[in-house]
Amino acid sequence: MRKIEPKVSRRSFTVGALLAAGTAGLPIMVKAQEGKTVALLFDSLVSPFWVSGIEIMRAEAAERGWETLEAISDFDDNRQFEQVRAMIEREVDGILIIQTDANAVIPAIRAANEAGIPMVHFNRPPAESDAYSVAIQADNRAIMAETVQFMVDQAQAQGGTYKACILIGDLGDVNAIQRRDGFFDIVDQHPDLIEVVARVSTEWNADKAFAGLTNALQANPDINFLVTSSDFLFPQIEQALKIAGKWHKRGEDGHVLFGGFDGDAGAYQLLVDGYLDADGVQNLFLEVEMAFGAFEEMWAGNKPEKLLLDPGFVITADNLEEVRDEMWGYIVWQQKQ
Amino acid sequence: MALRTGAPGSAATAGSGSALARGWLERVVLSEYLVFYLTIAYFLAVWPIVPEIATWSSAYNMLTDMLPLLVVAIGQTFVLIVAGIDLSVTSIIAMASVVGASVMTSDGGYLGGSALAVPAGIVAFLVIGGLVGWFNGFCCTRLGMPPIIVTLTGLMFLSGAAIWYTTGHSETSSIAGLPRAFVLIGQGSAYGLPNALWVALAVGIVAHLLLSHTVFGRWLYAIGINRKAAEISGVPVGTAILWTFVISGVCAAIASILFTGRLETGTPVLGQRILLDIIAAVVIGGTSLAGGKGKIVWTVGGVLFLVVIDMSLKLLGMSLFVVFAVKGAVILFAAGIDAMRQRIVMRG
Repeated sequence: MRKIEPKVSRRSFTVGALLAAGTAGLPIMVKAQEGKTVALLFDSLVSPFWVSGIEIMRAEAAERGWETLEAISDFDDNRQFEQVRAMIEREVDGILIIQTDANAVIPAIRAANEAGIPMVHFNRPPAESDAYSVAIQADNRAIMAETVQFMVDQAQAQGGTYKACILIGDLGDVNAIQRRDGFFDIVDQHPDLIEVVARVSTEWNADKAFAGLTNALQANPDINFLVTSSDFLFPQIEQALKIAGKWHKRGEDGHVLFGGFDGDAGAYQLLVDGYLDADGVQNLFLEVEMAFGAFEEMWAGNKPEKLLLDPGFVITADNLEEVRDEMWGYIVWQQKQ
Repeated sequence: MALRTGAPGSAATAGSGSALARGWLERVVLSEYLVFYLTIAYFLAVWPIVPEIATWSSAYNMLTDMLPLLVVAIGQTFVLIVAGIDLSVTSIIAMASVVGASVMTSDGGYLGGSALAVPAGIVAFLVIGGLVGWFNGFCCTRLGMPPIIVTLTGLMFLSGAAIWYTTGHSETSSIAGLPRAFVLIGQGSAYGLPNALWVALAVGIVAHLLLSHTVFGRWLYAIGINRKAAEISGVPVGTAILWTFVISGVCAAIASILFTGRLETGTPVLGQRILLDIIAAVVIGGTSLAGGKGKIVWTVGGVLFLVVIDMSLKLLGMSLFVVFAVKGAVILFAAGIDAMRQRIVMRG
């Protein structure tokens, strides 16, 4: 008696396997339809702020039973516009976007408006236009002013006069402009105490920040008051100050009064170690909550204000233990330990 | 016995089947339209995973996404045919974008609000492209410098210059407030088709005719195949190469018009991340990096292939790192097929 072999060709096996995989994936696709789907469109993940931001968003979305689709444009405005159109095609329920350029994002907002999909800008508002979207932003100017005010109070308490240096971000980014303005709001009130001798334009580029600060320290070796517009530049600042022989803790001779902005894990560590005096903290948890809350508002048919502000706070050695639980960098720092 | 008689018969059938399959495979691989077959195969493969890719609006998005890339890739095709390369095209896109925008913008542009703003702005785009292209060609042909060095330094210089120029013309990092008439070139439509498509069609047809129906086109292929022989045959090699760079620069400027109109903004980082896409699209299409081989229709295929891949990955919501990895793998696969094609041709 001949044994009948099952005749499964390679092709039919492949087709069968693909069908099986597709069928197995169906429940997942069905489940995705149950909740809302939100697109998270970042322009990069180059700093701890953004890495932590996307992680908090994923966690918050999962908690609310939402699915997320992600895309990163790599600082390419045109690519981001195409990503927005692709997400509209996917019929997502909301688009959270971190654009590179405040002007170039306008056509993307219009496309989302036409499709009836709510759009929320995270941390960077768009330029003024007739298109409607909601932006969540830290109150950069006020937070920076509060941070610098604390440093000025310290300076007055210590006595003497101060030569200041500020590391400015990309002036195409409204956050960078507002932080710079917050710095000058306070410093300009104290011309007898502080003279700004260096404005380093970093364009949010760590290499440029290092080169610029190194040059500034060579040209002005008496700099003793330093503010950075973003914490992600701490490693470069530490290196430049070490080279200049100015890396000293609070209370030590030659300590440079040092302030930052963001509230990342590095800031927490430097506060604990005593090198940093004050840090303006963007409340990332609150901002994510505000962004997702804005989606819910818009889904309910409401029209929130175009700009919603996170008041943020300033963390120093004095209030470290009191407020650190609200500092996103502290949570990251804890996870690293 | 039956087994014995059956076995050779099956072997013969299998043998002839295998020969048929191999013949068919060779025909497909050797086809000059291979990239179109690959595009169709990829499209069919991803269709069940992302059904949204097969909608009219997706097709429209893919079409409009590919047009600026196609225009700049067409210019690159000319340079590659003469065995050159133009790495400065992305910085031409950026520089032309901010210079053109600074002429037209209503926020203090040189001709902002004037009826001449749009035509003068477009001329500014084209002049920047043509001038940079001419300079590249001059350095390569008259000074004997290698194209890769000339255009790479051009890329670096113009990228910096574009940012510097913008800071002198805007409070922010970009120039907005462009006239509606200009924006419509990148966003509007005429006779039911996007305006950008009409522009790309015009560029494509002119480029195709130049390459396939003119003496100039024949010169370019001759130069790409054997520069020395072309020279001896009386081809004005230097002038012809110089013009390929001018064409490439002008095409980049036209692409810049489409990009800038689309984003309603002149920005100094426009197109900075698409250099690999431009060269990959042309090469995947079948144009040889060694010169002497290339067609506009192949470039259309290469661009289409990349855009379909890009769109599918965007619809899947994959992270940029996955997009890069998949794109790299697909380009490597296409290059592998090209190598196989060369082997088959060599084998005769």
